[in-house]
Amino acid sequence: MKKSIAFGFLLLLLAGLAHTAQAKDDDFGAVVKLIEQFYHVKHQGIPFLARAGIKTTTTVARIAGGPKRQLVETGSVKVAYFEDQDFKSKGSFTGFKASIGAALAENWSPLIQVASPKDDEQTYIYLRDAGDRFNVLVVTIESREACVVQVSLSPQALAKLMHNPDEMGETITVEATTHEQE
Amino acid sequence: MKSLSQTLLKFAHLRLALLAVLVTFGAAATAGAQNPRIQTSQLDALAAKATETVDVNIDERLMQLTARFLSSKDDDEAKVKELVNGLKGIYVKSFEFENEGQYTDADLEGIRSQLRNTAWNRIVNVNSKKEGSVEVYLMQTGDQISGLAVLATDPKEITVVNIIGPIDLEKLRQLEGQFGIPDLDIERSKPKRKN
Repeated sequence: MKKSIAFGFLLLLLAGLAHTAQAKDDDFGAVVKLIEQFYHVKHQGIPFLARAGIKTTTTVARIAGGPKRQLVETGSVKVAYFEDQDFKSKGSFTGFKASIGAALAENWSPLIQVASPKDDEQTYIYLRDAGDRFNVLVVTIESREACVVQVSLSPQALAKLMHNPDEMGETITVEATTHEQE
Repeated sequence: MKSLSQTLLKFAHLRLALLAVLVTFGAAATAGAQNPRIQTSQLDALAAKATETVDVNIDERLMQLTARFLSSKDDDEAKVKELVNGLKGIYVKSFEFENEGQYTDADLEGIRSQLRNTAWNRIVNVNSKKEGSVEVYLMQTGDQISGLAVLATDPKEITVVNIIGPIDLEKLRQLEGQFGIPDLDIERSKPKRKN
């Protein structure tokens, strides 16, 4: 009897831990859903990603002015793309900034947030610890398209990108969506 | 007699407790007053009127990471590594407006009131080639500079730069254009420094 109670508690504990881990892991999905709900748009699925050629081996990044460096490792890239949809007329920039801030407040730290209503552009970069690496979440929204990218970076790669945070979002997004096989 | 001595003892204990409370509050107030981190959230309301807003938050952990993992062998990286070594944070907030008159002095009062704190010293002999006004403040804790704040304004733009840690004007000049710090074109016009 005691054993089965203990086993039950263990199961509950494991279920709780799994739920916490899943909630933490699914912040990418939460942000994609937030964009869909806020702007009444729909992100592209796997076929688009296959068409875009998201590779399964290694993503190689060119850091401005430097040689090719390995930035992102296998399986550490998540991309959601919103193509040819209207992000212009719905919702305010400040409203979206507040919403994404609230969605990520628990696990992520904001690094850079740029909103340019005159150009219909928004960029948000958030960071969080992932053991001995860092997760970087980049959200880019323009008038007709948007992209959410989550990558896992080594501290070395992040340190190099930190030098110029203005370009970090573009570097990560470009490298995660247009890349070359190594 | 016994009750008198007990009363006196109680009174002495009460005074000691009161003193302890005052010392604690005093220390907390001093620590708060000497925090080189400027709160800028009161400017956030301006975002609705701005044509561009930029918000950069590089905290102590990220500064240490940058200083630790940049290479000492690569000349460029070594230079940056040396610059950021010891810094505990870089925070930048800027707003650009389409037209003049989108913000008033009242909007900046929240920032200025923090910088009026005696812990901050305004460097008055600092000029910028840019139009408008550039105010540079340093906070000194003991012999060390513990923070720097820049409030740059022109009729269509507000920029607040807050760097935590040992920093001076020369370092600030070298950091311009990096870590989200805009080009401020700061130059020193006279060697003297005043409050």
